[in-house]
Amino acid sequence: MLHGNHRRAGILPGSKSDPKSLREGRLDAFPASANPSLQRSFSCLLAGIIIAHALDLASAGTEYLDNSRLEKELKSLATDRGDLIRLKQVAETIKGNSVWLAEIGTGIEEERKRRPALLLVAGIEGGDLAGTSSALFWVRQLADGYTTKDRIRKLLDSTTIYVFPRLNPDAADTLFSLPKRESIVNARPVDDDHDGLIDEDGPEDLNGDGLITWMRIEDPEGDYVMDPAESRLLMKADKSKGEQGQWRYLLEGKDNDHDEAWNEDGTGGVNLNRNFPYNYRFFAGGTGLHPVSELETRALADFVVDHPNVGIIFTFGGVDNLVQTPKGEPGGKRPPTTIQEGDLPFYRELGKAYREALGLKKELQGNSEPGTFSDWMYFHRGRLSLAARPWSQALQVELAKTNAASSKPQATHKDDKRAGDAQPESKPNAEKAGDASEEDKKSDAKAKPATETRNQEERAFLKWIDENAPSAFLPWKRFEHPDFPGRKVEIGGFAPSATTSPPEKLLDEFASKHAKFLTELAEKLPRVGIRKAEAKHLGASIYQLVVQVENRGYLPTALAQGVTTREVLPTRVVFEANPDDILAGAKTSSLGVIDGSGGMKEVRCTLRAKGTNKLGVEVISALGGSVKTTIDLQVGE
Amino acid sequence: MKLCIISLHEPQGGARRLSGPGIISGKNVRARRESHPAAEQIHGSKARPRCLGVFPRHRLTLGRSASVLTFVCMLFSSLSHMSWAENADRQPKAEDLANHIFPALGSPAARRVPVEWNRFYDHAGLGAILARLHQAFPHLTELYSVGKSYEGRDLWCLEVTAKTVRDPKRKPGMYIDGNIHGNEVQGGEVVAYTAWYLCHQYGRLEKVTELLDHNVFYLIPTINPDGRDRWFHHAQTANSSRSGLRPYDNDRDGLVDEDDVDDLDRDGSITQMRVKDPNGRWKVHPQFPEHLVQMAAPDEKGEYTLLGLEGIDNDGDGQINEDGAGGYDTNRNWAWDWQPNYIQFGAQEYPFSLSESRAIADFVTSHPNIAAFQSYHNAGGMILRNPGREGGVSQPEDERTLQFIAQRGEKMLPFYRSMIVWKDLYTVWGGEVDWFYGARGILGFTTELWTQRNLDRSGGASREDEAAFLKYVLLNDGVVKWHEFDHPTFGKIEIGGTKKEWGRTPVSFLLEEECHRNMAFTLYHADQMPRLSISEVEVRKIDDDLFRIWVTIENSRLIPTRTSQDVRNHIGPPDVVTLSGANVNVLSSGVVTDRFFKRVEATKRRPERVELDSVRGMSAARVQFIVRGRGNFAIRADSAKGGQFSTERALR
Repeated sequence: MLHGNHRRAGILPGSKSDPKSLREGRLDAFPASANPSLQRSFSCLLAGIIIAHALDLASAGTEYLDNSRLEKELKSLATDRGDLIRLKQVAETIKGNSVWLAEIGTGIEEERKRRPALLLVAGIEGGDLAGTSSALFWVRQLADGYTTKDRIRKLLDSTTIYVFPRLNPDAADTLFSLPKRESIVNARPVDDDHDGLIDEDGPEDLNGDGLITWMRIEDPEGDYVMDPAESRLLMKADKSKGEQGQWRYLLEGKDNDHDEAWNEDGTGGVNLNRNFPYNYRFFAGGTGLHPVSELETRALADFVVDHPNVGIIFTFGGVDNLVQTPKGEPGGKRPPTTIQEGDLPFYRELGKAYREALGLKKELQGNSEPGTFSDWMYFHRGRLSLAARPWSQALQVELAKTNAASSKPQATHKDDKRAGDAQPESKPNAEKAGDASEEDKKSDAKAKPATETRNQEERAFLKWIDENAPSAFLPWKRFEHPDFPGRKVEIGGFAPSATTSPPEKLLDEFASKHAKFLTELAEKLPRVGIRKAEAKHLGASIYQLVVQVENRGYLPTALAQGVTTREVLPTRVVFEANPDDILAGAKTSSLGVIDGSGGMKEVRCTLRAKGTNKLGVEVISALGGSVKTTIDLQVGE
Repeated sequence: MKLCIISLHEPQGGARRLSGPGIISGKNVRARRESHPAAEQIHGSKARPRCLGVFPRHRLTLGRSASVLTFVCMLFSSLSHMSWAENADRQPKAEDLANHIFPALGSPAARRVPVEWNRFYDHAGLGAILARLHQAFPHLTELYSVGKSYEGRDLWCLEVTAKTVRDPKRKPGMYIDGNIHGNEVQGGEVVAYTAWYLCHQYGRLEKVTELLDHNVFYLIPTINPDGRDRWFHHAQTANSSRSGLRPYDNDRDGLVDEDDVDDLDRDGSITQMRVKDPNGRWKVHPQFPEHLVQMAAPDEKGEYTLLGLEGIDNDGDGQINEDGAGGYDTNRNWAWDWQPNYIQFGAQEYPFSLSESRAIADFVTSHPNIAAFQSYHNAGGMILRNPGREGGVSQPEDERTLQFIAQRGEKMLPFYRSMIVWKDLYTVWGGEVDWFYGARGILGFTTELWTQRNLDRSGGASREDEAAFLKYVLLNDGVVKWHEFDHPTFGKIEIGGTKKEWGRTPVSFLLEEECHRNMAFTLYHADQMPRLSISEVEVRKIDDDLFRIWVTIENSRLIPTRTSQDVRNHIGPPDVVTLSGANVNVLSSGVVTDRFFKRVEATKRRPERVELDSVRGMSAARVQFIVRGRGNFAIRADSAKGGQFSTERALR
């Protein structure tokens, strides 16, 4: 599996990432500042090789947090803002890490549970530390905004925000311990290679740099060739073009169990974002024994079942239906394979708003995977469910392009300056240059770089890394590997999480863009209100009641898929009357779906009112909140 | 019925022993005998050695026939030296029956745990049977809970195996459960009977001894104890209380379980409501007016409208009984081919969201030795196998094995038919039998116990045939005659029909038969679980210290160590054959693909460890090792579902 497309494979440790980061101390290496002890050990280990940089931007705000730092931050927020933020441990992982839920809203729980709600899930795959940081950034922004901004106060007085800042703390751990590696699975022991042995062949830090990076082995049986335009990158040999493989590309490590597969069964685990019921894949790597098999996923599933008021879900992870509008089809297909046409416009419009918030001028390639949480919430639970990568190679390359275009007139673009600050010397580049071996020259000579269209994005990204986070790519260096006697083996490449988490200095930028979008998104929830509630006296003690319910929100009270799945209860009007006194109509009437942006539905009822001149009416909407009013029963003229 | 006889018998014996004031005189006793045919019968047979006893027995038989008088005269003359009073005093002793039992074939001789198998037991009752078995047979049983139900009842499992013969954890295991649908109760009795039978017959019957020596049984009589107890202890119908008891909003009004059925006439059963109605389309049944109704012909005037099951509009929404207790289906909550509620009714929110199904899934997953599965439902007399949906997974080899076993079952179970769920019954998404096979690669069946065909032992009984059975065989036990009731909404109505025990569960005297026959089928199935042995180890010298070793691993049963589904999807680990010895170095090894060790597929790495996909049923797998060295070596075969075996040999 590891030899495959390592970024797309998405199941094994490291497969999702090509790291970005660091060398210690560096801020684009994560948590230097977040974990002093780690930094210390790094420094010890790597003193001499590594240049420890000043942690200049660490104090600027958003950082990468290990699990204990995250817990501390959450607890202090919940303590400082007990009126607004409640923290709950919803699960404990196999490894003993806590999965936290932060609930933001005012009033007692019963009220909060009836309000329109947005659920934000981050850190579901683990390697995407930026999602957790962005989630925390937004929570802080909301907490601050509640006292300073009318808009936020209004939102939080009428909306509940649920945040799972890090669903997969086990995976996050691997980026904060030595050797640092990127994992997207939890710590459940799994026999990944089905040989009856469990977790017997994980990666090793062969060169002792504290990082699990990559190995490339010169081998005619390999599936990769060197990118003719960039000797530090490999790409899949294209057999149709007559290309013969020259390199194997593996995660750094040994074949511990001598089965001629490298690092094929490391610690863990299950990718939580492949462990949900819709389009679940049994027996695929990292998907678990069955849907919702994990403690973490079960805690999340139970939460959403127990909180039917959640109308919008936003997931930070590896899948993305915002940078590109997903496909749609007419409803009725069972089981459905794409979003219903009736719901598509909302996805399209919200995608536009998202890309605008991020500064993207065009659609990028979206990503969908089997068994994701976000798909489950749409296809089986009928909720509007959005997902995005908190940061990605493609996003960064595209933004850099846009920035470059717009900053041409002025040479001093902000990013350039930052890059300069963070990287006063170009030693990695120098190393790289020195490493440009004969093969590089050979392949350069053989191929025509100008016409090579493959790997374009990768090259652009590497260029961006060179300029902005040079420590996120380690120069390839020769290594005498005992498993490959007589072969040229090099270790290097992207540092752990280098392709999934931006340099720490950029965190604020991406977190604030996302926060802006999330706040706008929460404002788009359906909200029911009573436009009219009147009684007309028909004579004697008989009244005709008319109640008009409107939806002041943007989204309908249920998506088409919510209606199809029947998992979103219909909006109901309940008259607080004895059923025997209702002569026509019903005590409880179902209104079905009320469209957003001012949609309205009406209910009528004939009532015999004995000894009362008031009647209570309640409107209850699963996703749009609930409102109560009282109708005056007066004898008319 | 048996019980009834004993209770009639005992007071008489007791009275005789006491022989004090107030004892029943001989005459009185005879009078009572005459009025109770059943009592007569038992006295007759018990007292047969004494001539007295013959009298009432024959009298009964001959009854009103013309020869009675002659016969009595003959008897009277032969006994004329005795007075009637003397005869009447001569009573059988009220001995302890346990000392006077002669077992019929099929049942165990000495019953260390007496259980009557012609009645049902609630959850605690089934638990008590298991607990008593565990007390009486500690060397054969382990008793534990595999999880809890929604309401906190334990899912009790009795593990049955010869504990000191081989390692129980490594024996091929058969998992058997019952009653996943709360109302389908008799599965509980069948599973408990299986436990009871195995314990008592171990050491007595060769086949049972062999089964418990080689295999282990995981027996869970009820995996829906909440539904079971609700069915027993609340008024229900034959079909209700199918669900577990986790509250569920069936009518989507925001309230849960707020409008269940109501036992209006408080007779312990939920039956039908009908109301006289000049526009009704139903009429009194001409043959069985007491509890049936008949539809009027299209051009015929009716007299009744049917109002559904007993109940009132508890929540005032204008509907009756629309949101009862629970209201889902635990047998649609399993992970394989699971689909949500809107596609599959009762599926619940996600696979294994229910504590009961999840507990079983966890149990099975943590027992990789489980190689066979059986689940008991009712009703219809069906031996059902996967797949539950058209196009569902079923590997041809596995299908052939299942089909063969089921066909054997048809022979053991009269009126039962071997069927495939989706094709012959209906589509089921997320069923238990599909998960066992699809996700775990375990072969098994869902049996729909009991069929009304059993009532008259024919192709199928009509409604009238059934009513006749109720009337003439059960003497209307099970019938609720139409009777009036004042309904708060409908006014004067009538309530009537059949009780919950009618239709899906066997009548008392057929229950034991059902238990035994179905158990017999599972024992056959269990006996087909892989049984491995290292049947041959041949050492051939090639050179001085160089040897070729041929190992044959035999599976003497029908089911392979790993099913096709298991092998294809790498569900379990491969079977592994290893060779080791202090002075032995394995140079090469391989899987032999022909009968004569001529074709060998060499192992790529770790030659001391040969991985086999599976040892097929009634077949053998062969392995070759090329070794250099001297002295002893050990061969070890390790199969998750086949067990672990080893043998030692010497190189020479």
